[in-house]
Amino acid sequence: MPKKVAIVGVGMQKFEFCKNETVEEMIFDVTRNALENSRLSKDDIDAVVFGSAVDAFCGIHNSDKVAIDASAGLLKPTMRNSTSGSTAISTPILGYTHVASGLYDLVLVVCFEKMSENESAQAVFNTVYDEAFVRPIGLNVPIQCSLEAREYLNRYGLTERQMAKVSVKNRGNALSNPYAQLPMKLTVDDVLASPCLSWPVKLMDTAPVTDGARALILASEDVVRELDDDPVWVKGVGRGADSVWFMGRSNKALGRLDYAYLAAEQAYEMAGIRNPMADIDYAEVYDPFTYKEMQHCEALGLCPEGGAGRMIDEGISLKEGDLPVNASGGLQGEGNPIGAGMSRLCWCYLQVKGQAGACQVPKDVNTAVANGWGGMYQYNAVMVIGRD
Amino acid sequence: MAKKKPVMTVDGEIQISYKWSLGKAGERFFTELRDNKKIMGTRCRQCGRILVPPRIFCEECFVEDMEWVEVKPQGTLLTFGDSYFSTDGKRLKEPWMLGIVRLEGSNGGLIHFIGESSPEDLKIGMRMEAVFKKKPEGNIMDILYFRPLKD
Repeated sequence: MPKKVAIVGVGMQKFEFCKNETVEEMIFDVTRNALENSRLSKDDIDAVVFGSAVDAFCGIHNSDKVAIDASAGLLKPTMRNSTSGSTAISTPILGYTHVASGLYDLVLVVCFEKMSENESAQAVFNTVYDEAFVRPIGLNVPIQCSLEAREYLNRYGLTERQMAKVSVKNRGNALSNPYAQLPMKLTVDDVLASPCLSWPVKLMDTAPVTDGARALILASEDVVRELDDDPVWVKGVGRGADSVWFMGRSNKALGRLDYAYLAAEQAYEMAGIRNPMADIDYAEVYDPFTYKEMQHCEALGLCPEGGAGRMIDEGISLKEGDLPVNASGGLQGEGNPIGAGMSRLCWCYLQVKGQAGACQVPKDVNTAVANGWGGMYQYNAVMVIGRD
Repeated sequence: MAKKKPVMTVDGEIQISYKWSLGKAGERFFTELRDNKKIMGTRCRQCGRILVPPRIFCEECFVEDMEWVEVKPQGTLLTFGDSYFSTDGKRLKEPWMLGIVRLEGSNGGLIHFIGESSPEDLKIGMRMEAVFKKKPEGNIMDILYFRPLKD
């Protein structure tokens, strides 16, 4: 039997473009913050897991070694995890397995990305694709997402206007988030009038380039009661990975994220959740582009398949809605330091604890879900957390 | 808002050239493309799927039981993208276009440039054809682009 695992604290810092801290200093900042919030010290931590997506963003290969000293990892077991954008959630899942296995009682998870220092984040993205068949075509992320978004809108009859509403919601929500890079009061027309990157994706459908880090601390059921009398448990975890050969794989329907549905099914089965629309109180979903929030709401069962347009039209995912999504601002409003998208999970924790400050939603939150997405239409990782 | 103090930096660059092997399947694919203007796939003898780009194994059956087959340089447009920014993020006056074309007689396809058309001419599901380079060199740019199929 795996041990039960709880989150006992998170470490936050402001997300911004061109941070003056080094990667090591950023990691120290969030690690110290997580330790303080959990009332723990460096020596209490048994092991550390790091997550970051692509070393070429910060220009330091094997950047995990930079994290050792700053993450309370000195002379301890440490391990780095990297699954593109889904690093954001697969890294805390790796931390979870460290504790659930019974090997460690207290594990610190830290995720980071410094993206502002390279000449062009998009030129870095081009280097993640296949060298013989894809890279020479000059693919980058906006056009990769245009290919996916066009198929998605076409498949389910969704609109640019519905996408724009997600941007208005998330950037507006970020006005309440002290760590946010891009809080904005926008109208749907502002989003639709922003420069088109690659149809249907406009500038205001796109998360910014960001530097930032997040940390959290996981505790086993054996030690958690000394730290927290109302623990937030990890209830379910799931991951799915599809083939990098998106043109050849069986599921070529880019609009339907089979691998994300699979990840969600695993996490919900483990958490005993049969009806996510009723059983999930709050969600933070991965939204580097507005349509990705819509796709992920569907894959996570927060609305019916193809129903994400209606979900935003009817205000269900608004902060005051029945099933609020990204009340923190999400990647759109808070910023998008790829691996540090673990912020989605941190905000789920803060919502369950009632510690989300001005981002706190006006309803009881006992169960929340977060996900991460990445690769060549490939990876998804899902974590469900909540009270007993 | 107060102007942020500029960050003090040290400058550097990483410039490393590579020679990537095309692999067993890639070598055959690009040789046929260069010498015979043929697009080749591999058919899994277990499940019958024809993979383009070709691979030496089927990821679903997990066997190395493949035979080479030629596929047509024509197919269906699964989706397309038109971008006003270059690969490294620079603003462009005219959009460039990419599409994913499922090639006829296969279960796979290629991602490539779309040419001889504007975004308004394109529709998901329409038929496309490859336009080949006159002097091929054995790489993916031996196909110049796909264009809407002319009857």
